[in-house]
Amino acid sequence: MTVEQSQKIAVPGVSSLRTFAARIPWKRIALVVGSYAACVIVFTAFSAWQGANPLTIIPTMLQSSLLDPSAFSQTLLRAVPVGFAALAAAIPARAGLVNVGGEGQLIMGAVAATGTGLAVGGSIPGVLGILVTVVAGMAAGAIWAGISAALKVWLGAAESVTSLLMNFIANDIMLFLIYEPWKDPNGSGQPQSRPLSDGIRLEPIFGLDINVAVIVLLVFAVGMWLVISKTGWGFALRVTGGNPVAASRNGLPTKSLALSAMMVGGALAGLGGALNLIGVEGQLRPDITETFGYIGFLACFLGRNDPIKAVIAAILFSAIALSGNGLQITEGLDGSVVNVLLGAIVLTMLAVGRRQGETL
Amino acid sequence: MNIVGEILTTAIPGSVAIAYPALGELISERGGVINLGTEGAMLAGALSGFAVTITTGNIWLGILAAVLAGAACGAVHAYAVVIRKANQLASGLVVWFLALGITSVLGASYNGQVVTPLASIPIPGLSSIPVIGQALFNQNALVYVAYILVPGIWWFISYTRPGLILRATGERPAVVFAGGHNPTLVRYVAVTVGSALAGVGGAELALGIVGNWSDDMTSGYGFVAVAVVIFARWNPFGVAIGAYLFGVCLAVSSVVQAQGIAINQYVLDALPYAVTVVVLVVVSAFGRNNAPESQREALSEIQ
Amino acid sequence: MRKAKKFAIGALAIATVLTLAACSTSGTGAKTASAKVTTVGFIMVGSTQDAGYNEAVADGAKAVQKDLGTSVKVITADQIPENNSVTQTMQAMVNQGASIIFATSYGYFNYALAFAKSHPKVTVLHQGGYLTGTFPKNFGTYWGQAYDPVGLGGMAAGGVTKSNKLGFIYAFPISQTIANIDAFELGAQKVNPDAKTYVVNTSSWCDPLKQKQAVSALLGQGIDVFSQHQDCQSTVIQAVKTAGKKVVGYHYDAKALYPAGWLTGSAWNWSAIYEKIIGAVQKGTFAGGPYNADWIGSISTGDNPLQLASFGTSVPADLKAKILTEKAALGKPGSSIFTGPIYCQDGSVLVAAGKVATYADTNSFSCLVKGVVGTLPKS
Repeated sequence: MTVEQSQKIAVPGVSSLRTFAARIPWKRIALVVGSYAACVIVFTAFSAWQGANPLTIIPTMLQSSLLDPSAFSQTLLRAVPVGFAALAAAIPARAGLVNVGGEGQLIMGAVAATGTGLAVGGSIPGVLGILVTVVAGMAAGAIWAGISAALKVWLGAAESVTSLLMNFIANDIMLFLIYEPWKDPNGSGQPQSRPLSDGIRLEPIFGLDINVAVIVLLVFAVGMWLVISKTGWGFALRVTGGNPVAASRNGLPTKSLALSAMMVGGALAGLGGALNLIGVEGQLRPDITETFGYIGFLACFLGRNDPIKAVIAAILFSAIALSGNGLQITEGLDGSVVNVLLGAIVLTMLAVGRRQGETL
Repeated sequence: MNIVGEILTTAIPGSVAIAYPALGELISERGGVINLGTEGAMLAGALSGFAVTITTGNIWLGILAAVLAGAACGAVHAYAVVIRKANQLASGLVVWFLALGITSVLGASYNGQVVTPLASIPIPGLSSIPVIGQALFNQNALVYVAYILVPGIWWFISYTRPGLILRATGERPAVVFAGGHNPTLVRYVAVTVGSALAGVGGAELALGIVGNWSDDMTSGYGFVAVAVVIFARWNPFGVAIGAYLFGVCLAVSSVVQAQGIAINQYVLDALPYAVTVVVLVVVSAFGRNNAPESQREALSEIQ
Repeated sequence: MRKAKKFAIGALAIATVLTLAACSTSGTGAKTASAKVTTVGFIMVGSTQDAGYNEAVADGAKAVQKDLGTSVKVITADQIPENNSVTQTMQAMVNQGASIIFATSYGYFNYALAFAKSHPKVTVLHQGGYLTGTFPKNFGTYWGQAYDPVGLGGMAAGGVTKSNKLGFIYAFPISQTIANIDAFELGAQKVNPDAKTYVVNTSSWCDPLKQKQAVSALLGQGIDVFSQHQDCQSTVIQAVKTAGKKVVGYHYDAKALYPAGWLTGSAWNWSAIYEKIIGAVQKGTFAGGPYNADWIGSISTGDNPLQLASFGTSVPADLKAKILTEKAALGKPGSSIFTGPIYCQDGSVLVAAGKVATYADTNSFSCLVKGVVGTLPKS
């Protein structure tokens, strides 16, 4: 598409409306719409086969994730760790790096936030205490991702693999802490840290169940989009990601770019882990990240590495997860059935997206 | 029994449950495709193997079902990656989530039921070797198949013509194409076959070891298998050693505790992953990088 | 520009799907909740067919629906992880009209308490929790003195073992589990002073491979009777069956899996306490009542939700009689398997002579008693 043509589309004059209409790729739209509709239909059929009422599945799902304000609040809260994990994959991806370590970085963020929160909880009250806690989480996430980045930059180890393996190590570190040194003395011996004091917990806002973490996520989505598309650093990342050899020849510091991209990603995941902890969890427990880091990676993929779209995808995935509640309670389905829908949507994208997955 | 023999006895079946998916992953990666869906293929294999066994009463039909279920997962991944050129890591995760969801739903009614696991078959003579005899040679049939599979795959990759084409596809697909072969087809087959082996790993878990099904019963062993392949530097014998070491790490805590000795389980749990990272780093930095060439790109490239 | 257009296509696609879906919303999904029906929600952490902890809860929920008939509507959700997901599920249940919610996994405790505080019209019950401090008017915890029936199971194990070596497979060194291990060994000693209990942990409530490895490792030590504190028990029973040894169950009566080798066990029977709590809420007597607190059932008060399971075929009649006599003795007010003197492995006193440990005492147990072989992970 030439510049001239694209301008026409951007500002379609009356005379060019017909041309504009003719240029809409109807076949392509039909294919994409049809595929995603097919995806929903297949899911509905699968659920019906499992004994649900095919007519009420979709309404039930929407009701328990988006339409009811209290349910929608929960969707947004769940989107916080998933969304930040998606951003954590999106930024390094611009530099051509694959960060599969969102899960571990979320965990390390939560671990650092717990440690800091327990340490400062009593002494630094209010916003400052929250800030210190959150910054500690970001630092931990950045360091955790930074390890993978350093191994990549200086020793040539594939960051996709090391970041994946470090998820498991992070989980073991957290388990060690909550089973032994950090164990809550009032927890009947159960594996959990002491609860954070109320002063550094996030309060509900707007009379809903959501807290400020949701706003922070949305701000970061837009902010990261601006950083990527409008700053010199973002431009340099894209150049490095596009062609590292050329970037290096043109004097770009590819090593420090790779390091910084990965560490910013890790910091974002660490932030997500910390906000999730001081927002909804309040103490460190074994399962608090579930598989949020991996789902975030898929959300980033569905959002084509674009920060805003990745966060929208994260909200979509959270809504799908929430809709599992409705399916269980009113349709008697197994709640895990929503993983089928999640998988099917991404698979549909893999299947109907342009080669190399260019479409949404 | 001595502690070495006991650790071996306890570790071997679990090691084999890791060795199958790791060997499958090796074939897939030799062809140039990394498959994180291995975890999902194992789950699919475990459930379909268990369901068919309990329905038909025939454990071998169950194992066949596990092979097919694993292959189906692989075919999905192969379609996305090989045909659609989708991101390998993302597609693998998708296969994992799909399998996790589907097995959890379809497996709900099989939770808590049991079948008799594959019987142990002592091999005359060999099984009476001191210390290791019982551990290595009084195991189920799938364990013995794995013993044969390791040198078999090594021989296949190193000396046969299809093995050569597989390796070449992983290294330089263009050369394979020029040589009159179809690298797309080779990759498709490699991923599918590799994933079928992961299905067998699931069957070893559900039918060979425990004799029942439980949700998410693979507990991340599929990811361990991916780590083992890297640890093994894409060599089948290395896979055998790696799978065995990982299996020992999983088993040693039980055995040592049963002897009344305290042990730091978190260090043990983290050890296999930490060791793999170290091996990966050491080899990447100082060693000859024998990762398949296209794999090197695939591992560090998103879309 | 290309990208923008493609994104627009994608957005359009999703919008279309959502619109279609939203259109089909209207007209359906109407809630039919008449005023007299109480909707009761049960939330479980695992599968409802795990032949263990969660199946016991599911059976209890089914019994509630059957016994209370049309006055209640039971809704359930299973496999809800122990994180904020449980808040989401509780909210979804309330949106479905639930006014009573049973959160039945230990890790739900803080979410359940917080939810009760923010939803004063909903009565929230937590299974297994223990609250020090004031209870909100709409919150309660309940549990049973699990260790007493576990001790009776220990007697069965101690009486049947030939090697005098018993195995206990546990998940994590939490105090409830420590109390169970101790009670199991103490029970065994009542009929067999030489019985030792070997312990192995799996670091997971339900990891079949680790369970199997634990059995295998214990077999290597000559153990011939196994018990456990895991959420799911099929794997252990199957492994014990394959080895031709005996098993004492926990959580659920799984005799059917291995009738010849099942000695006995302890099984949760929740329906009675569920129904009493629901009744109290319906009558308006919940607040300030016995369930608006830490309610603990026990054999001595005749209302322990954890009961002795059925006996298998390989328990001799005289042993059975001894167990039942002990059960009757535990039925006397104030009695418990933890009657002093009881000593830790290192010789220190766990329960002093002449004292009986209360449920609250057992919540701070952190040592294994003499006769247990093995150590807890350091804490």
